[in-house]
Amino acid sequence: MKKIFLTANLIIGLLVVLFMGLSYAEDPILIGVPTAETSLEGRESIKAVQMAVDEINAKGGVNVGKEKRLLKVLVSDLRDSSAGVPVSEALLGLEKIITEKKVNAILVGPFRSESLLAGMDIIAKYKVPLLETIAMSPKFEEKVKEDPVKYRHCFRVCLNAQSLVGYLAQSLGFLKEEFGFNKMYVMTQDVLWAKATGGGVSKVATTKMGYELVGSETYPTGASDFSAGLMKARIKNAQVILPVFDMPQSGILLKQWKSQKIPSLLCGFISPMAGPAAWKIFEGKLGGLLNSNFELGSAIPVRKYPPATKFYEDYQTKFRVPMEAGHGPAPSYDAVYILAEAIERAGSLDPDKIADEIKKTDRVGVIGKIKFNDGNQVIYGADPKETAAGCVYQWTEDGKRVIVFPKSIAEGKIVLPEWISPSKK
Amino acid sequence: MWEVAIIYGFINSVILALTALGFSLTFGISGVPNFAYGAMYIFAGFVSWLLLNKLELPFFASALIAIAFTAILGAAMYRFVLLRVRGLVISEVIATFGVGLIILELFRYLGFSGFEYTLPVFSDGSLLIGHTYVDYQRLWIVGVGILLAIGLYFFTHHTKIGLAFRGIAQDEHTALSLGINSDRIAGLSVAFGSGLAAVAAILILPRGTISVNDGYDVLINAMAVCIIGGLGSSVGVVLASFIIGYAQIMTDILSGPQWKMIISLIAILVILVVKPSGLLGKQKELEERI
Repeated sequence: MKKIFLTANLIIGLLVVLFMGLSYAEDPILIGVPTAETSLEGRESIKAVQMAVDEINAKGGVNVGKEKRLLKVLVSDLRDSSAGVPVSEALLGLEKIITEKKVNAILVGPFRSESLLAGMDIIAKYKVPLLETIAMSPKFEEKVKEDPVKYRHCFRVCLNAQSLVGYLAQSLGFLKEEFGFNKMYVMTQDVLWAKATGGGVSKVATTKMGYELVGSETYPTGASDFSAGLMKARIKNAQVILPVFDMPQSGILLKQWKSQKIPSLLCGFISPMAGPAAWKIFEGKLGGLLNSNFELGSAIPVRKYPPATKFYEDYQTKFRVPMEAGHGPAPSYDAVYILAEAIERAGSLDPDKIADEIKKTDRVGVIGKIKFNDGNQVIYGADPKETAAGCVYQWTEDGKRVIVFPKSIAEGKIVLPEWISPSKK
Repeated sequence: MWEVAIIYGFINSVILALTALGFSLTFGISGVPNFAYGAMYIFAGFVSWLLLNKLELPFFASALIAIAFTAILGAAMYRFVLLRVRGLVISEVIATFGVGLIILELFRYLGFSGFEYTLPVFSDGSLLIGHTYVDYQRLWIVGVGILLAIGLYFFTHHTKIGLAFRGIAQDEHTALSLGINSDRIAGLSVAFGSGLAAVAAILILPRGTISVNDGYDVLINAMAVCIIGGLGSSVGVVLASFIIGYAQIMTDILSGPQWKMIISLIAILVILVVKPSGLLGKQKELEERI
């Protein structure tokens, strides 16, 4: 009798555990991650989201009212980083993950600003909170400010082009002050955010810093020969070249710059140069380049800001490869925590309540102190203890990356490559 | 600026000629369309990259194996796809283009996208010509490109197989009656052409990254060169390469790089309207006169 009683208890216990497990499995909070899966930024942002989700789930999940619920990531490829993929295709993908998978929120989001801006209307239509972490056009905030009620569910955690303009313009100012440079040449990719950044920096540099814009070039996505542009920069005596590219082929610009010994300092953003692997892939031809990492923690450890370094190292430990994307992973990781905390504060999965709570976010994240402005954009500045931050760093001749800007986290000073001379001694 | 235009225009022209040689051999000289040409180019690049980085073979061994694999892929495409639709020109074009699409999009689907897909240069450094620096890889391209163009001319004019290539394009039935196995020759032509695409890839890709989208650009450029030069003319291919090559560099210098690709397409349109047989094409000249 005792044995029967014990067996019955065991079976009941097992059923209870199984039932609890099933109830967890049936009701996870669905996080949609539609983005350009083939892009480096997209791939690593997805991994960063998964990393944060695993951490939260390991602690039991997210409190929704009195329930504890796990998070589940659903990825879909919008392909919008590839040349020739129309915006309409990305929008279809975005709508599909909302309508078919019934996701509770969207993280990372479209790769191209063109897709994001059009996609904001889909987000508004279905009222699904979006935390964008890649597309950068400042038009996002303009759109939110124009109709804050309609776009109340749209948020952006990554750096926007406007803040990037600020970082690069200040770096140019420093180059003028330190080396006497005053002639610049702009080379950008033919996409919205890159053109906005290139145009913005040259406007600030020419109107406020006394720079002369001696030429500019726009390259179609996929272009891999920059030699004519580099030659033009040389002929026009440019002292600084501002490159703004997010395509894999842009790394070749460095090889060509170095092999042609162009006497102009490269200072801008070349996405393939962000991570540590670039040194080996580009055969060590990076020394002297000033590159930007859009958010602290994205492919760069920051000695003076431990949360970014911890994220960088944890990522490497978890995935056994270093992070390579200088844009996307860190805000994507933070976005999961922003969402989880907003859900807990809202106490429900009601999208309006979640959106209201996201707006109130005030947390210390990997990217710095996270707060949203009235355009639903995370505020970026020069000190991670006060706002979120990005950084400008220099590749040294021995393959190290030294942060040179902002001053609050700088690890060294800018050093000119041996074939570039300062204008002032 | 003009020195840059002359030097880089010349290099760009040789790159175009090198890119188009295989396509010209198959489509222009033998009359067998291989619209998977751009895909063969990219296939060679990725195979070489995989052998180099995953199997850690030396670069030149991986390059040679990649060239051989690409030639075999071309032969297999002929044997299993083209042979079934031989003689139906539209079907040949659609079938080979379809094969190309499958290859390219398969690479994309498998995640072959990123800056890490790059091949090493043959030799590092650059040479100062006048006031213009030219990297050694471009000099390799120019050297091998010129040798291959001359070699192709002699191959198609002075060797038995080369003459057979031209023979099946001029009149397949007469070629058959003279003992030329047109299926075998056409298959060889596709394999040779694919192999040449691979040689071009191994030489040109170290200048950039291996990108799926380049497959489409390579096909457009190769088509433009062959159509403008005239089908069946090796000299025409070289002439057209120089016209488009210099036009692209001048466009780049004067208007900006975003207009470069349009030049090839405009050139195709103009030549099709003004002289459909191409600058030195012979195959349709008679029809044109009538």
